[in-house]
Amino acid sequence: MSESALVNITINGQAVQARAGQTVMQAAEAAGIHVPGLCNHPHLRPEGSCRVCLVDIERQRTLQPSCTFPVFEGMVVQTDTEKVHAARRFALQMIFSERSHYCMYCQSSGTSEDTDCELQKLGYEYGLDSWSYAPDYHKPWPLDASRQYFVMDPSRCILCRRCIRACSDVVANHTLGLRQRGARTMISADDGSPFAESSCVECGTCLQVCPTGALSDRRSAYMGHNAQVKRTPAACVGCAVGCGIEALTRDNQLLRVEGDWNAGNGGLLCRRGRFDVVEPQPKRVLKPMVRRGGTLQDADWDEALALVAERFAAADTVAGMASPRLTNESLAAFTCLFHETLGSSEVGLINGEVPPLDLGTPGRLQDIGGADCIAVVGGDPLEDQPVIGYMVRRAVDNGAKLTVVNDSPTALEPYAQLHLRPQDISHNGVSPFARLRTVYHLRVSGISQLRSTLEAAERPIVLYAAGMSATVYAALRALPRKVGFLPLVKGTNAVGALRLGLTCRELRGDALYVLAGDDMPGEDNGWRPRDFTVVQAAYQSEWTDQADVVLPARIWSEQTGHVVNLEGQSLPVTPLVQAPKSVHADWETLLQVSMRMGNALSYDEIADISRAV
Amino acid sequence: MSSKKVTVASDWLAGCAGCHMSFLDIDERLVNLLQVASLHATPITDFKHPPPEGVDVGILEGAVNNSATEEVAKRMRERCKILIALGDCAVFGGIPTMRDRGCRIEALRRAYVESESTVDGKVPDDPALAVMQDCRPLDQVVDVDVYLPGCPPSADAIFYALTSLVEGKKPQLSGKLLDWH
Repeated sequence: MSESALVNITINGQAVQARAGQTVMQAAEAAGIHVPGLCNHPHLRPEGSCRVCLVDIERQRTLQPSCTFPVFEGMVVQTDTEKVHAARRFALQMIFSERSHYCMYCQSSGTSEDTDCELQKLGYEYGLDSWSYAPDYHKPWPLDASRQYFVMDPSRCILCRRCIRACSDVVANHTLGLRQRGARTMISADDGSPFAESSCVECGTCLQVCPTGALSDRRSAYMGHNAQVKRTPAACVGCAVGCGIEALTRDNQLLRVEGDWNAGNGGLLCRRGRFDVVEPQPKRVLKPMVRRGGTLQDADWDEALALVAERFAAADTVAGMASPRLTNESLAAFTCLFHETLGSSEVGLINGEVPPLDLGTPGRLQDIGGADCIAVVGGDPLEDQPVIGYMVRRAVDNGAKLTVVNDSPTALEPYAQLHLRPQDISHNGVSPFARLRTVYHLRVSGISQLRSTLEAAERPIVLYAAGMSATVYAALRALPRKVGFLPLVKGTNAVGALRLGLTCRELRGDALYVLAGDDMPGEDNGWRPRDFTVVQAAYQSEWTDQADVVLPARIWSEQTGHVVNLEGQSLPVTPLVQAPKSVHADWETLLQVSMRMGNALSYDEIADISRAV
Repeated sequence: MSSKKVTVASDWLAGCAGCHMSFLDIDERLVNLLQVASLHATPITDFKHPPPEGVDVGILEGAVNNSATEEVAKRMRERCKILIALGDCAVFGGIPTMRDRGCRIEALRRAYVESESTVDGKVPDDPALAVMQDCRPLDQVVDVDVYLPGCPPSADAIFYALTSLVEGKKPQLSGKLLDWH
């Protein structure tokens, strides 16, 4: 029977057509019949551990969990009888009795209309007004608050194992498991060590799927129920992957970020994208500042902009550096300012690396998880684009062959079956030593090995970074046509910047304009101060300390525009919160500077350019 | 409905009195209620103990956590026909169970010695005082007939439960009235 074959079943007397291979729960939901559940999650494989979704299936000896039971032809199901209800109530009573679910001091607790706890919601729905089996709250399960961003209270855990499945099947991190047996069973990291000392990477996927208050986000706890917050789909600008996110905001505050299950990242986010971005940063720049007598002092916009215009007009040579975190619109305005108003082509990026983008068929993020053969050439995705790293590991878990081509050890290396060095693949198999290898039965050259592995695969994909030699890229170009290529770009919008002609390179000029946005200096400062330096930045940092004029800028969650991710997809950047009144959009400030230099640029022009990107 | 009024008494155990506040929050409906029910002893009126001849409905707020609250619970059970466990502490154990989650001695020291407003504090040890017990919900000590969870249960839930009993029906909480958060 093929997957798409239809099966006729009856649910609560209603004739329903289901697809073969569907579970009873899926078939019921598709027909608009709700079956409650706790351990099931639409984006995780079914487990059948909570017994709340029990249904009555004709000719089955006992009630069956609908989340794992597959449909069959002629099946007759009852989901709403008193027998089923009694069984569900009993299951809920057992779950409540196993731990200390004292709702009144749990952050997920709420009314039947706004509770964030799926257990409490079902408790209300099934009319539980007391506990038939009093829980033993003396059980020794201490709170684990060792992680920076979220806390686990095991006494609120219902052992639904969603977190374990998320950790193993989605993130492929395999940190979580169970320890002990029976009533003592509890979620455990590795060998039972505190989470912060375990192999946990704090990506927070478990937090996103937890049905109760067992896992709670420190920052957004008690700041509003799901019913009170606004969810806005947006793109993460943490790195060039551009993961789909859902931003939870309330009263102009960003509370939390969750992964969008339907985007290319499939719900995945990394620690940076989920947590770091929401953390309060160092002091915000809210007013323009001008250096007077050696110290930076507050100034009004007129004074600061006039000074910038005057000094840039007077400078012999000018240069501009922008952060790759900025939108196409900001970068386009910056490019226009330099090309058209200042007549300079010394404009580029502070950082960001884009490898050649034309090696072959472009791959998609979704292709990685389903690939059966992956080669990672250069770069370290688990470090630099963690979500891609997780996807690679997930593919390896599903049997994909991984080849890592790198000079130095990377975090993905333990998962690779084949290790090559760049020089192994750089001569297209015809190195001067090829004959010697044949004569002395040395191992076949790297490129042949790589080519044959990729050729044998059905859905091969190559992830490659910048900074490799031209011969390596030439070797990759010569790979079979079925291979998909995905560049490991560094710098969120570095691809968009490249389309505008901005790259990371040495830039010369007596006067320097640094368009930093909410970017911060990394290990390397990225630039050195010139005779006159303007820094347009959201936060005070070493960068603003070195500036002669500091102009305020918006942060990622206040920006409007577009960025281009490493797939080459243009992603809309939606403002999630309002910027402080004194802080303007980058393009507004840049147009002001241009106008004061005698050249009025229009926003339409900038919008046109960025649309072309 | 018989012309004789339904008699009601209440008392509190290890709780915060919040449920009784919620009881008072039934506001002017109290007047209607008092036409069909008569309120006897409560902790917030002058009579403190339920009459020996008993009442129809007894209401207890709070968890049982020592020999004194156990005695109050048992006395109320003996003197009422229908016993209501009022609020999360009486129904589930509630906030007072926190005392037993960690070290009991530490909790006593924190309350009687270390608290910021205390000078020369001392953990009380008079033999006449109640003896501490495991903190537990009411139904682990006496039989409970009606559960009214909530922290506190809403005034509507309390009013609904009492009017149902007056009408001779067993209250079945659902929807908003059940919210025990």
